[in-house]
Amino acid sequence: MRTIIHLDMDAFYASVEQRDHPAYKGHPVIIGSPPDQRGVVAAASYEARKFGVHSAMPSRTAGRLCPEGIFLPVRMNHYIHVSEQLREIMEQFTPLIEPLSLDEAFLDVTGVMRHWRDARELARTLKQRISSQLDLPSSVGIASNKFLAKLASDLEKPNGLCMVPSGAEAIRAFLAPLPVRRIWGVGKVTAKKLAEHQIFTIADLQRRSTSELGRMVGSAAGGEHLWALAHGLDERPVETGTEDKSISRENTFGEDCRDPEVLRQALLELTEQVGHRLRKSGRYATCVTLKFRTSDFRSHTRQETLASPISSDRELLRHALGLLEGQRIKEPIRLIGFGVSRFTHTMIVEEEQPDLFGITQQDEKARERNQRLDAAVDALREQYGRDALRRGNFTITSDTASENQ
Amino acid sequence: MKFKIKKDVLIDGLQKVQSIVNPRTTLPILSNILFRAENDRLWLSATDLEVSVRASVEAEVLKEGAVTLHARRAFSIFRELSGPDIEVEVGDHETANIQCGSSFYKMIGLSEDDFPPLPAFDEGTSYSLDQGIFKTTLQKTAYAASTDETRQVLNGVLLSFRNERLTAVATDGRRLALVEQEMEFQEEEEMDLVVPSKTVNELIRTLGDSGPLKIIATNKQVAFDFGEMLVVSRLIEGQYPNFRQVIPASSEQRVAVEREALMMAVRRVALMTTDQSRSVRLHFSRNKLEVSTETVEVGEAHESIAIKYEEDDISVAFNPEFLIDPLRALESDEIFMEITDELSPGVIKADVPFLYVLMPMRIS
Repeated sequence: MRTIIHLDMDAFYASVEQRDHPAYKGHPVIIGSPPDQRGVVAAASYEARKFGVHSAMPSRTAGRLCPEGIFLPVRMNHYIHVSEQLREIMEQFTPLIEPLSLDEAFLDVTGVMRHWRDARELARTLKQRISSQLDLPSSVGIASNKFLAKLASDLEKPNGLCMVPSGAEAIRAFLAPLPVRRIWGVGKVTAKKLAEHQIFTIADLQRRSTSELGRMVGSAAGGEHLWALAHGLDERPVETGTEDKSISRENTFGEDCRDPEVLRQALLELTEQVGHRLRKSGRYATCVTLKFRTSDFRSHTRQETLASPISSDRELLRHALGLLEGQRIKEPIRLIGFGVSRFTHTMIVEEEQPDLFGITQQDEKARERNQRLDAAVDALREQYGRDALRRGNFTITSDTASENQ
Repeated sequence: MKFKIKKDVLIDGLQKVQSIVNPRTTLPILSNILFRAENDRLWLSATDLEVSVRASVEAEVLKEGAVTLHARRAFSIFRELSGPDIEVEVGDHETANIQCGSSFYKMIGLSEDDFPPLPAFDEGTSYSLDQGIFKTTLQKTAYAASTDETRQVLNGVLLSFRNERLTAVATDGRRLALVEQEMEFQEEEEMDLVVPSKTVNELIRTLGDSGPLKIIATNKQVAFDFGEMLVVSRLIEGQYPNFRQVIPASSEQRVAVEREALMMAVRRVALMTTDQSRSVRLHFSRNKLEVSTETVEVGEAHESIAIKYEEDDISVAFNPEFLIDPLRALESDEIFMEITDELSPGVIKADVPFLYVLMPMRIS
């Protein structure tokens, strides 16, 4: 059996600001745009949440709900720096860390359990070190898999430590009273479909078969997904990314998305993140992968093997869009991902297969320009954070378009 | 619905349509085959919404009607039944009772009403051809089509009805296969169709060696009507690249090479290539063609073929797969290679309507 910990910092950005400015402690702190400007809340302290303020809410609304709120700008660089310190603490416990964001990570501690009396003691020590070294509050969930650990970390927030009991029976009993929305992947739409069948709690789900659930949500895969999670089953490994046979990023939409423009925008961001990591590792990719999950929970991947190795954002985006356009996706998308693999350490290939129509032959000068641009963007982002620079719009089309001479 | 049918006849019909069924479809109805008993025939239909296929076989229809059954399961059951006579009756709730000797099966199906109907072709340009000629045309070109999903328009075979000729072309941008033959049609019937590879492969599988074939096309879709079969397919949209511009006007050298000998030599030499070094080299010298490769960590291979050649030496490297493909698709004893230099496209021709253009690999 595995022991997985989900570490989730409590109101991370807001807690960092309260720590750095002790005068703000105990007061509602709201990170994001000022209330008299357009923009949204990026994070809110627990004091502010009492007023109904939450992240992604327009700042104007937050200002109205919480007039005495202390509005502070987002200091992303600073949070990234703190996040790196946090990672160093986690690494004292296990090398198997899967960061989910700046303030959230899975730790697989199965292999190190023999150094500890039990998982609870390990988790308590982790929380204490974060508290003593960083002076920040955190919540921890302990369980035998990622789904349960993540669910548990949320149950006793803030400053929580929740351990899911082991054993199939005990796990089912633990899950039973929780609302279905607690299940990863169950959003408004699925919850509504389930409610039509009088399913409100996980206990209600546990009483149904996979095929019944499949019919309710409209796909067999979705039924299996619900059934497995309702029984606390989740085999996904903690993925550290240190193997680095591939680099990928994905983005789950708050609401299933049909808008091709939103998909393109999401891919733009994903390719930039992947490109940054790829270049930082000093490598080039010869294979690109597009992944998407449709609203019926089915995952699809599409790959393209490249004639020559690439690493520039522009090239990555061009191939990503090419794969996307080749899909004629009809269903709404709940998740989109982009990855690269089959790495080389040089751009030079021993052999090149030129194109009859001269389409894939890269213009040497353009290639060099792209390389310089990426290097400049990478440097800026590393110094000032990821949001220091945004691509205004992009005029890149896929190969398909350029063939339509 | 109720019909009696010979097992072999039923299996024959199912084999023609079932390959269209996509095993990973999201719509349950698309996993099914439509069985329709009518006019003393059994009509079998399958579709993946891009390609639809309908075949008909002889059957003793006792009561007309229709049902759809899970394709893979139905096919497996019918194939395993001991035969020779099968009786199928559909009662209420789309349930098929299958009786064969002492075997009895009850299969739950889905209603015909949910099955996507075959697109109707009230109008469209129509062409008449011989099945066998069209089949070999597709066989000689289809393999060169691209599978790269970023180059959609190349994911099929172009059928260009122009200038009193039918030109079939497939290319993935690195090699191009073309078959051209004269054909009679009106000037207003000139048209370009890009037929998806899946449809082309289904046609290659089911077209006969002779007999009439009717092609009916609109801007969006095409139907192939032959024998007891009807194949209806979506067309790939978009402008096919101007393939004429990549066909070399004339080449310096034209060398006759024994097809089989060259194919076997290239195949053997290719065994010594690696992912990093994939190419094989063709070296034309006085009365000798040498096929070779050298890979640092692996070793080297050399094969010689006797040819009639008196000119200057020429050496050129190709991807062996791209070289073997057309050699395998042809049947002639001899092919003709036209090579200019190591950077220009090479050409393969034969004594039948066929042209293949192949971009050499550049070695650095």
